[in-house]
Amino acid sequence: MHYRHRYKTEAEIAQQKKLFRGRLYFALAFAILFFSILLGRMTYLQWINYNHYHAMSEGNRISVEALSPVRGKIYDRNNILLADNQPVFALKFSKDKITNIDATFHHLRLLLPDIPQKKLEKFYEHLKVASRYRPAYLPYSLTEKEAAIFAANSYKLPGVTLTGKLKRIYPFGSTAVHAIGYVGKINIAEVKDIDAKRYQGTDVIGKTGVEKFYENILHGEPGIQQVETNARGRVIRKLETEPAKPGKDIQLTIDIKLQRYIENYLEGRKAAVVVIEPKTGDILAYVSSPGYDPNLFVDGISSKNYSALLHNPYRPLINRVINGQYPPGSTVKPFVALSALEHGVITSNQKIWDPGYFIFKNHRYRDWKRGGHGVVDMDRAITESCDTYFYELGLDMGIQMIHDSLTPFGFGHTTDIDLYGESKGILPSKEWKRETKGKPWFKGETIIAAIGQGYFLATPLQLAKAVAIMANRGKIITPHLLKGKQLPPQEQIPINKISNWEKVIKAMMNVMHGSHGTARRYTQGLPFKMAGKTGTAQVFSLGDEDYDEDTIKKTLRDHSLFIGFAPVKKPKIAISVIIENSSVKAAPVAVDIANHYLSQLPKDE
Amino acid sequence: MKIELDTKQKVYRRNSGFIESLHLDIWLLMGIIALMFSSGLIVYSASGGDINVLHRHLIRGGFAFLLMLAFAQIPPNLMRVYTPWLFAIGAVMLIGVLLFGEIGKGAKRWLDFGFFRFQPSELMKLVLPLTIAWLFAHDTLPPPNKKMLFGIFLVLFTAGLIVVEPDLGTSILIAMSGLFVIFFAGLSWRWILSAIGLVAASLPIIWNFYMYDYQKQRVMTFLNPESDPLGSGYHIIQSKIAIGSGGLEGKGFMGSTQAHLDFLPESTTDFIFSVLAEEFGLIGVTLLLVTYTLIIARGLYIASQAQDNFARLTAASLVMTLFVYVFVNIGMVSGLLPVVGLPLPLISYGGSSLVTLMISFGILMSIHTHKKLLTS
Repeated sequence: MHYRHRYKTEAEIAQQKKLFRGRLYFALAFAILFFSILLGRMTYLQWINYNHYHAMSEGNRISVEALSPVRGKIYDRNNILLADNQPVFALKFSKDKITNIDATFHHLRLLLPDIPQKKLEKFYEHLKVASRYRPAYLPYSLTEKEAAIFAANSYKLPGVTLTGKLKRIYPFGSTAVHAIGYVGKINIAEVKDIDAKRYQGTDVIGKTGVEKFYENILHGEPGIQQVETNARGRVIRKLETEPAKPGKDIQLTIDIKLQRYIENYLEGRKAAVVVIEPKTGDILAYVSSPGYDPNLFVDGISSKNYSALLHNPYRPLINRVINGQYPPGSTVKPFVALSALEHGVITSNQKIWDPGYFIFKNHRYRDWKRGGHGVVDMDRAITESCDTYFYELGLDMGIQMIHDSLTPFGFGHTTDIDLYGESKGILPSKEWKRETKGKPWFKGETIIAAIGQGYFLATPLQLAKAVAIMANRGKIITPHLLKGKQLPPQEQIPINKISNWEKVIKAMMNVMHGSHGTARRYTQGLPFKMAGKTGTAQVFSLGDEDYDEDTIKKTLRDHSLFIGFAPVKKPKIAISVIIENSSVKAAPVAVDIANHYLSQLPKDE
Repeated sequence: MKIELDTKQKVYRRNSGFIESLHLDIWLLMGIIALMFSSGLIVYSASGGDINVLHRHLIRGGFAFLLMLAFAQIPPNLMRVYTPWLFAIGAVMLIGVLLFGEIGKGAKRWLDFGFFRFQPSELMKLVLPLTIAWLFAHDTLPPPNKKMLFGIFLVLFTAGLIVVEPDLGTSILIAMSGLFVIFFAGLSWRWILSAIGLVAASLPIIWNFYMYDYQKQRVMTFLNPESDPLGSGYHIIQSKIAIGSGGLEGKGFMGSTQAHLDFLPESTTDFIFSVLAEEFGLIGVTLLLVTYTLIIARGLYIASQAQDNFARLTAASLVMTLFVYVFVNIGMVSGLLPVVGLPLPLISYGGSSLVTLMISFGILMSIHTHKKLLTS
């Protein structure tokens, strides 16, 4: 390029200099002005708003992690472990490190085909919407073999790591499941009720049994760990740790060996057995048969398994001991007789003639024995379980007296056992009928109430409690599962004449050992004396108020009941047994339980 | 008045002292060394104490320093002679990028010559202001309007080639370095104000028809970073937390939790100012801004002492370009300006931008130390 130079005049040079200087000053002023704006901005951020940003920086840096407490263990009365925590292998998913969720699950499926498909799918859905920065655990415990397979192939699954965690385990499986209960994943309904702070880092909670009732004791207190995390939520270092307080171990009154003996004895029949130590109210055995395996629930039960349990005709999920309400039948007769004696309605020597039926207002109430028992006194009425005697006696006593004197034995109200959801049973009275049915009481209803039929309903636990109080000669106990539980002072049923109690107990002993006793044939060669009372409950299905006797009779037989205690002099155990549909008789079951238990007790006691 | 000087040895005034004999300016040099020293500390801290990063940074810094030294030796007149050819090469390469360019991060910005990759827009950062200054070299300021218009045309042409890469941020910065020359050449205030008005009026049109979604996203994020705290606003929020939590005195050297715990993005490059602010507080920030101001003031002084139009316009434009880089970077990380990928001059972990910057310092020093015995 070529330029034709024009000569500049002095004036032009001066003007150019002035112009350029002006622009330079302007530029300098401009730069200083804008740097001042930056400085103002910095003052605003670093000085005026320092506290705000300082707090945000600390919040960024420090995150608080909850340390889940170790759940308390559960022991039986002989310190045998019933619920333990077992370290298991689990898979931890760090979503921020997983590049492709679909591929990860695909690989996992090929690698560990034993993980239930449904569980994986459910977890997949959960993980897709879960937070990126919080690890999630697949609710599945890997076997050692699976853990080894995973460890060898973990490079294929970035973001999935093998970790250990503590899993609740019930070494005895289904044994005593209705008493111990189980833990399971905290569900949405429970999330609302629990103290979220206490349950940070914990994903299971007691669902039933003592696991639920003593949740507060077993759970413990979570610890807090302050950790410095980076932007991806990964822990860089631990700052401060407040260790978790482990939950307290608890000891149950259950004797797991006795419990297992009874459950094996019942062979999965529909039945309920409660064994109580009368002196203390300790529940030695709490059997609702059949049981189920609580270990299925810990990681979340599969819908297939749950449906199988739910639709099992034997209904294993029902807690028959506290929720099975059965007509107590003849087992109430000793209590009715005792009440009549104590109130002077009758003396033990007074006799009646039993023709095999009792007529009241043109209605014939039949005795179980065709042709009747003939001349019957109180002892014989209990020993042979004469219905006619009690029809007449009940009518003489009236429903109010029956109600009032059976109430302290625990009928018609909860026993306050340390379990949730106990049923009350029904101890009928005029008041009760007016309140619930809105109808007046009929005297005919008193007649059948006296033999434990009609509206009368009791749970196996209530029967056991009642017979334990009988064994205690009136000392009221509260049945409980926690050993050494603090209980309110035990009351005593007022005794008019102690001989009345002994007479009734003698009659109950005759049931077992007398020549006419209804259970005499089961006590051959028994090394101790036992008192008891058999019973039969007319069947109606659980929770069904109305039933059609004809159709039921075709399909279901009556239940067989028994209550009793042994030895008679110094009772060590009180038992109630209910065998649904009388697949076996209840009395021999109780005798064998008592024999098994008492024969292994130390002799000196 | 016309004096033709053709013997180089006698053209320039003799420089006194060792530094000046190396064609260096002592004041600029002190500012540069102070900033490069701080840069070493902060890059080391921002990298989490990675000695390898520091090594690489020092090597790059040393290389850039040597380049500055080399360019300081080239007399401005020689530069002026080669300027139009450099501009032609730059323009051809920019067109080449559009035709054969390497695609990186969704934009064509690189030319691959087999043995090394080159970003032509980086070259243009220097060549464009030189070209405009060359254009006005022999005029009396202000140059005639026709030439001014031609200068503006060259600026828009160059920026246009870069904006379609697409690289909006770089094209705006390059355009500014060219427009600064025109400004210092004496573009009348009336024109300047009407141009600003025109740009402001056309912004909505550009927004609707000529901006990519990611660019719109950046602007939206800038206007309200809290609207998407874990998305695109995240970087700005974390950067502000870093700066604000530094307070008056800072958290101390190596004390930046925001950088060490990965909350800050690009903590050694674009967001290094946040690390500095977090570790050295308002005091450190003030010292930094004062240092920059002194460098700019010295640069403008050099421009005022320059002996011809090419030199004075080049010097002034390069200095103001430095100012814009500093302002845009700090404005960006402190939430005053939208996020554009732009390093903090002399502080960020070295890259091609450091090379360009040090060359421009070399040119400044050359201008100051190649004084003719007579002015034209």
